[in-house]
Amino acid sequence: MKLKTALSAAITLAGVTAGGQALAADPMCGANTGEAASGDPILVGGIHGNAAPGDFSAATDAAKAYFDCVNANGGINGRPIEYIIENDQWNPELAAQAAAKLVNDTDTVALVANGSFIEMAVNAGTYAEADIMVMASACAISECFESSNIVSTNQGPLPSNLGAVMYAREELGAENIACIGLNIPNNGIWSCEAAINYMEENGGTGSMALINPGAPDVNSALLEAVSSGADTILINQPAGLALAILKAAEEQDLRDAFNWIAPTPLYDLSIPDQVGEYWHGDVYVNAELAPFQVNGPDAQNWIAVMDAYARPEDPRDTFAQAGYLSAKFFTEMMLEMDPADVDDRAKVADAIRAIKGKTSDLMCGPYYVGDADFHMPNHAGYMVKIIEGGYEIVRDCYEYDSSYFDPHLKLEAEMGLQ
Amino acid sequence: MTRLLRVTPSGAAGLAFAAFAFLAIPLLAGKLWLSVFTSTACFAMACSGVAFMYARLGMVSLTQVGLMGVGGWVMLRLNHAYALPFEINLIVAGLVTMVFGWLLALPALRLRGLYLALVTLMAAGGLEIIFATFQFPNGGEGFWGVKTGSAGAFRRPALAQSAEAYFRYTVALVTAGFLLIEFHRRLKPGRAWALIRRSEAAAMSAGVNVTLYKTWAFGIAGLLAGVSGAMLAGSLGLLDDATFRASESIMLFALAVVGGARYWLGVVIAATLYRILPALLNNWGVDADLSFVIFGAGLLHAVITAPDGIAGQLGDLLRRVVRRPSKDTPEDRPKDAPA
Repeated sequence: MKLKTALSAAITLAGVTAGGQALAADPMCGANTGEAASGDPILVGGIHGNAAPGDFSAATDAAKAYFDCVNANGGINGRPIEYIIENDQWNPELAAQAAAKLVNDTDTVALVANGSFIEMAVNAGTYAEADIMVMASACAISECFESSNIVSTNQGPLPSNLGAVMYAREELGAENIACIGLNIPNNGIWSCEAAINYMEENGGTGSMALINPGAPDVNSALLEAVSSGADTILINQPAGLALAILKAAEEQDLRDAFNWIAPTPLYDLSIPDQVGEYWHGDVYVNAELAPFQVNGPDAQNWIAVMDAYARPEDPRDTFAQAGYLSAKFFTEMMLEMDPADVDDRAKVADAIRAIKGKTSDLMCGPYYVGDADFHMPNHAGYMVKIIEGGYEIVRDCYEYDSSYFDPHLKLEAEMGLQ
Repeated sequence: MTRLLRVTPSGAAGLAFAAFAFLAIPLLAGKLWLSVFTSTACFAMACSGVAFMYARLGMVSLTQVGLMGVGGWVMLRLNHAYALPFEINLIVAGLVTMVFGWLLALPALRLRGLYLALVTLMAAGGLEIIFATFQFPNGGEGFWGVKTGSAGAFRRPALAQSAEAYFRYTVALVTAGFLLIEFHRRLKPGRAWALIRRSEAAAMSAGVNVTLYKTWAFGIAGLLAGVSGAMLAGSLGLLDDATFRASESIMLFALAVVGGARYWLGVVIAATLYRILPALLNNWGVDADLSFVIFGAGLLHAVITAPDGIAGQLGDLLRRVVRRPSKDTPEDRPKDAPA
């Protein structure tokens, strides 16, 4: 993902323009005063995982761009946000060290836009103990959604898989899915199992083929999926490995033998070119946040912020959208707080828990946090199809149908959000 | 008995260093560095096992980090399966890994040098595949104890709930591990190992039970690896297969050679290079992979100019500095001697 070139930005611009709406000329951030913030910085942290087999830094890149924009536009009551980013490198020891540095050794008031396969599992206890809230954006493991102090703007693989499988069953006639996941219990197995359970609850069946993230052998996993008797293959992988699987399938000319579906990591503007013409029109992807052609005011502002404050090579994908949204909701919350309290971690944590009913055209439903041992505000999305030069929306915002969301729906009802 | 308990200058320095680490580091270090130092201490204990096998018996074991994984696996499995105290789990993890070390020793009994290294490397490769395939226990049912979704809670020792106390707990155990090796070196096993190192045939002719003492050495290395892996599991609350790849065992052995396998300081230097150097580079915003370049340069340095490693060179330097004032000061030198 990191290797996305400036081309993706150019394609984004072209796509947005093609949508027939004018680009937001100037980004709108925070108080939007146009004056640079000064004085004592407010410390905010962020942890991402960037090492083999995947780069999950898109969200922190986007959050950094947004905070830079906020700092150029009045900051938080005139004070700048100092955004400190650490990389866990997919290593539990480094993940613990990153949290120790940001949470224990630094007076950060919150962590924003975290994205990782590792750090939430290692650090969920640290966050709860320090009572610091994490407004994550690129969560991929169960601890991210089943902990008291972590809330993520993205959905993670479980809901996104459910959305993809639900669409495949209802629209593509899928009866037997093979889920190619990472052999990580709280990621690949967790999310593949949910997809298989959904199929079994609806009269179908499913199986999983697992890839060792340390030594990924995509051919073996693909052959295992093919031999399972499935009619639909769910590529539940980070973008790099998903592309490798599609390449291996193309070499064996497997396109027409299966339905090909994937969760959100395959929603990225560089993907249609990378998969090539062979796959155009045949890969269906669940998008956790709004596809680019929806192009509402927030989507335009996100692009404007990225163009003005991010590096050209920073990804413009779902996780970047999620990073932007987390940073935006955090900033709005901080601006609503008493200026005397914005350095107080406990008060900031309480204010984050009190967030509810935030809306954006990038999300299908409202964003909220609440005081609970689980958080998953985003559980509805879009379904798109990879076509030449981009994506075509094949299903607009839809809620995923699973008993997994019962506690979340109950919490939303209690908070008056339904 | 007197000989057993005699404290050498090097030993005194080692104990002073351990006391400093125990008392001062938790007061001076922030949580980030405390976390780094705890990992470093765990790997120092594992490294002491591989260094002692190399220095005392001339045996190259390339499974040590894999054995740490075995200890960590047992610790996590017991933690999630039973409500036993941490210490019981720790002892069982150490003993199970010791038995694992013995099993590993069986094919190694007739092997030396390159062939022994290859056998242990293959064992490390096998462990890597097992860890990657079955993952580490996280509170699930069955033998492997892996469940989908979020991991269960980990219980740290009652004495060491905080990061500071856990670091002290680790330092105390590492010191005990070093002393275990030193006591063995001073007793009958140490004499047997010294003979085996020179010549197995000579050792046999002198009545040494070579099989017993080689197996014994593997057991001690396994015990130390198991305890260190269990302590690492306690530090993080979970483990990941990437930590225990075969390449990590090779790296740990190579760094033991760089640091100086014969000395406690060499082991500390090896663990420092292994865990503190990458953390420093990370903290400075430099790619931690640069440490591999430094390790390579260090290994070349050790192979070409310092067979006793950095610790050996430091010892030589210290001896020269200490001796010079009494022998070579101008006041002591005869007046007609050349300057």
